[in-house]
Amino acid sequence: MKTHLYFVCFQTEALVASHLDPDAFGAYMAVGTRKHTSGNVMFFEVDPIAAAKTLPLAGELEKRCPPHPDGGPRHSKYLGIYRVLESLPMEALGKLYLVTRDGRVLGLDAKPYDAAKEMRGPNLYTELCPVTPRVVSFLPPTRFAKFITDPANLVNVPRILFADSLLDRESDGRLAGYLPYLNPEHIVDCINEVAVAEKSAKTVERNPKLIAFYRTIRRGFFVGDQTGVKFYPFPSQDELDEKYHIWWRSASLD
Amino acid sequence: MMRSRVRSRSKQIGFPLLAGLCMQMAAVSASASELDAMRMLPAWWWAAPAAGVLALVMAFWFFRSIAAANPGNARMQEIAGYVREGAYAYLRRQYKVVGLVFLGLMALLTYMAFVLGVQHRLVPFAFLTGGLFSGLAGFIGMKTATMASSRTAQGASESLNRGLTIAFRAGAVMGLTVVGLALIDITAWFVYLYKFHHALFGGHPMNLETITVVMLCFGMGASTQALFARVGGGIYTKAADVGADLVGKVEAGIPEDDPRNPATIADNVGDNVGDVAGMGADLYESYAGSILATAALGVAAATVAGWDAARTFSYLAAPMLLAAIGIVLSIFGIFLVRTRENATMKTLLGALNRGIYVSSVLILVGAWFLVKFLAMPIGVFWAITIGVVLGIVIGKGTEWATASDYKPTRFIADQAATGPATVIIAGIAEGMMSTWIPVLAVCVGTLLSFAVMEGFQDLLSGLYGVGIAAVGMLSTLGLTLATDAYGPIADNAGGNAEMSELPKEVRRRTDALDSLGNTTAAIGKGFAIGSAALTALALLASYIEEVRIGLHREAAMEYVAPAAGQPFVLKSIGADYNKKWAIFLPGAKPNKLEDQMFHTLSAFEGTGPTAVVLRDENGVEHSLIINETGELVKNAEATDIHGNRLAANKASLKDFMTLYDVSLMNPKVLVGVFVGVLAVFVFSAMTMKAVGRAAFSMVQEVRRQFREKPGIMEGTERPDYARCVAISTAGAQREMLLPSLLAIALPVATGLVLNVSGILGLLVGGLCAGFSVAVFMANAGGAWDNAKKYIEAGHLGGKGSMAHKAAVVGDTVGDPFKDTSGPSLNILIKLMTMVSIVFAGLIVKYAPAIGNWLNLGQ
Repeated sequence: MKTHLYFVCFQTEALVASHLDPDAFGAYMAVGTRKHTSGNVMFFEVDPIAAAKTLPLAGELEKRCPPHPDGGPRHSKYLGIYRVLESLPMEALGKLYLVTRDGRVLGLDAKPYDAAKEMRGPNLYTELCPVTPRVVSFLPPTRFAKFITDPANLVNVPRILFADSLLDRESDGRLAGYLPYLNPEHIVDCINEVAVAEKSAKTVERNPKLIAFYRTIRRGFFVGDQTGVKFYPFPSQDELDEKYHIWWRSASLD
Repeated sequence: MMRSRVRSRSKQIGFPLLAGLCMQMAAVSASASELDAMRMLPAWWWAAPAAGVLALVMAFWFFRSIAAANPGNARMQEIAGYVREGAYAYLRRQYKVVGLVFLGLMALLTYMAFVLGVQHRLVPFAFLTGGLFSGLAGFIGMKTATMASSRTAQGASESLNRGLTIAFRAGAVMGLTVVGLALIDITAWFVYLYKFHHALFGGHPMNLETITVVMLCFGMGASTQALFARVGGGIYTKAADVGADLVGKVEAGIPEDDPRNPATIADNVGDNVGDVAGMGADLYESYAGSILATAALGVAAATVAGWDAARTFSYLAAPMLLAAIGIVLSIFGIFLVRTRENATMKTLLGALNRGIYVSSVLILVGAWFLVKFLAMPIGVFWAITIGVVLGIVIGKGTEWATASDYKPTRFIADQAATGPATVIIAGIAEGMMSTWIPVLAVCVGTLLSFAVMEGFQDLLSGLYGVGIAAVGMLSTLGLTLATDAYGPIADNAGGNAEMSELPKEVRRRTDALDSLGNTTAAIGKGFAIGSAALTALALLASYIEEVRIGLHREAAMEYVAPAAGQPFVLKSIGADYNKKWAIFLPGAKPNKLEDQMFHTLSAFEGTGPTAVVLRDENGVEHSLIINETGELVKNAEATDIHGNRLAANKASLKDFMTLYDVSLMNPKVLVGVFVGVLAVFVFSAMTMKAVGRAAFSMVQEVRRQFREKPGIMEGTERPDYARCVAISTAGAQREMLLPSLLAIALPVATGLVLNVSGILGLLVGGLCAGFSVAVFMANAGGAWDNAKKYIEAGHLGGKGSMAHKAAVVGDTVGDPFKDTSGPSLNILIKLMTMVSIVFAGLIVKYAPAIGNWLNLGQ
């Protein structure tokens, strides 16, 4: 029975050992528990060997996560619940799994990110871990990750996971009608303010309710710090319709 | 009624006529064989039953072609199998309950016919065949629809046109079965009553008034079946839908048509039992009712005007022949429906509209030739034209009120941005406002079709115009219903494709077919409600015809044979009110009611001389005025007919209005109007609450399954679909009884207390309120649904947004509006009229006594 190591990054931050494979673990986290998870769940598969470089996990995983006495798989054994993201080495982060409310799981592989092709914003970044505001910024993802993890700034975090969110606009400057944000006019105001004041970023919402969240993803997800970013591209619309239809239908619902 | 009583030519008119009356009447039976010979049906009339048979043959051919189509892969067949089993399980249970209700009503009608003698003895059987054929139409439609879903999905995997063709032809099976069975039922009854009944059972050949009125009674069977199908199906489908949505979508967060949702199969079954079987039974009744009511009005107009036999027969046969032409053109139209690959919504709608418009134009051409062939006034053609145009206007009006391309639905969608409360307010307001198109269209259509038949000079002709306009509107029902039944078939095909995880391209095609189905279903509902309103006026007039027969029957039941040599007996009937009179002629066989009716003349009202009209076999009328002691005062001139006492058969509808004091100053009429309006609201409330209760059981069951079977959500355990189907079925059967029985009991109770005037008030109140509320509910529900779909298409934040959540609330409120209460209301209107018609004899006989006892006058 293989023991997996998962880093649950949204909605809570936790390091979890489990005998379930990612699909089953995602379904379990979303629907297979009576702990009433509400909304979407996201987690990384973590390489225990790489993780052992910074966390005391060497030889501990199987010991700490034994099967149930009846031989059944253990669904989850929490190994850590605080400052997990900053504690894991970047190379330990494997696939990122996006789980819908009804337990459908989509795995994203990290891909190289070509920072040279980055264009100036505006961008809407939805921060997911360890803090969760939604901000607008003209900084591209790599520079934004550097900015937000810069200890020289008064407000900073050691490492950040954020999503690059859709910010399509109509010809008159309004946000596109299909975007499910609660405060579209405020987002536009923030963009204008950032553009004029030449601020690096402005908070749009402190703790946004992530409505129809997966439907708002533009390029994908970024994990970044002062050393660089790890990029998890989101599938194209065609791929979602064709290859991941079941997940996408579920993801579009909420 | 009485005009054919004296069939031998009178050599003289006056006292010698009366003196010879006994002999003349006795001679009638001797000439029975001659009468049979006279009752030859013209060859052209047989086109009507032939068209009915053609419709069934074509329906069978389409059915075979669908059955031969590829049913798809094992998964697709498995899902279709679940839906089919669920639908059959529902129908089995429904037919058991409805069977028991029919048994009870049959017993009551049999008692009324054979013991109380207040209606014709064939009425219980006419009632039964109406119910059987209506149920059969729904069953065949549903059988085809459940078979077609996987085949449509499979067809869509080949091409869009193939998918459209299979779904549409499956709908056509339903359409053609409805019109075929209706026309066969009508014509078979007609042939039997006209040619064979007297030959088989003895007695006198039935006159056309009696034939049409007896046939009209099968409408009650069809309406009763339709109401149960609509109410039961409506409750079923919405209980399943709400259960599936509330727990599946909202609580568990799983998408629509996800096989993990235990209620998803019940939801798909609901589309079939509500929108296919319910709609089929409903429109069967509308179609048959409009033909029969118009035929009855034609005969009544002929009777009062004293037209000759050939002209009378033309008026009787015209609606049947128009329906026959409509069937042929519907079949033609069905073949016109096809599309090319990569069709847009507009192209698909255009494909369906092509069939409808071409057949509509051709029906007018056919109507022109029919009117010329039958030598009818050109007003008949214009009335038919008005009906056809009216159908299109109502359809377009419904489309305007409910399609997301237009302002009303966009407005509701915009209001979703501010939450569910504003969505509800906007939906109710737009639904109310949308009534103006169909209501004004029906008003204008009624006035115009009345006027083109010179109705303001000749009331019955005008009403015939309104009736034939309704027949014109429904003439291409075979095609209209095909577009309507197509909706749920495409919807099920979409669900099947989704659950079977078919490729994107197939899902795109089934989605396109499904979207089109939503629009056509809304148009179909508007059409059903509009036709019901138009038919209702004809049925109101037919009710008076039944009262006319009821009066005569009541008179005949008190038959007293004149003494030897006495030419007749004049007797006051109906307790002591001195309003109704009977003149009994010698020669009736004792205890033979039908024979007594033949030898009875009925008249009503006043204290002066009684005027009656007798007509000999050559159609020559002889008017007599008889005093209260039974002596012939004089031979009346035509103008004398409007004396203080009128022969019931010659009395105009206005005379009946006077007899029963049907005026707004009569509180019974006003109370009846209020009761009719109240019936609409109470019935709507009962059906909506029924949905709530049935949905609650479903919600509990789905929650239980998710709770007790965690493997369902994880995909490792199969939900118990059958249990949800059983719960929805049981809920629908339990809940449909009370509202349905209300519709049956209310007119009888109102009639017994408030008499004919109260009933007419009830029917008018029910018609006006029912029509408006039905349109309001159907359109508000359709607009809410499409506002949600508009947002789901990516507007106002799209799927999952707060606006979407608000729109989902609107759609959930609208579900019982558009699929349960709204569509059931038009059957409520018709069933109340039909019950009034069938129970007219009972009311006419017993209501005066009850009214007197309650101190309410007669």
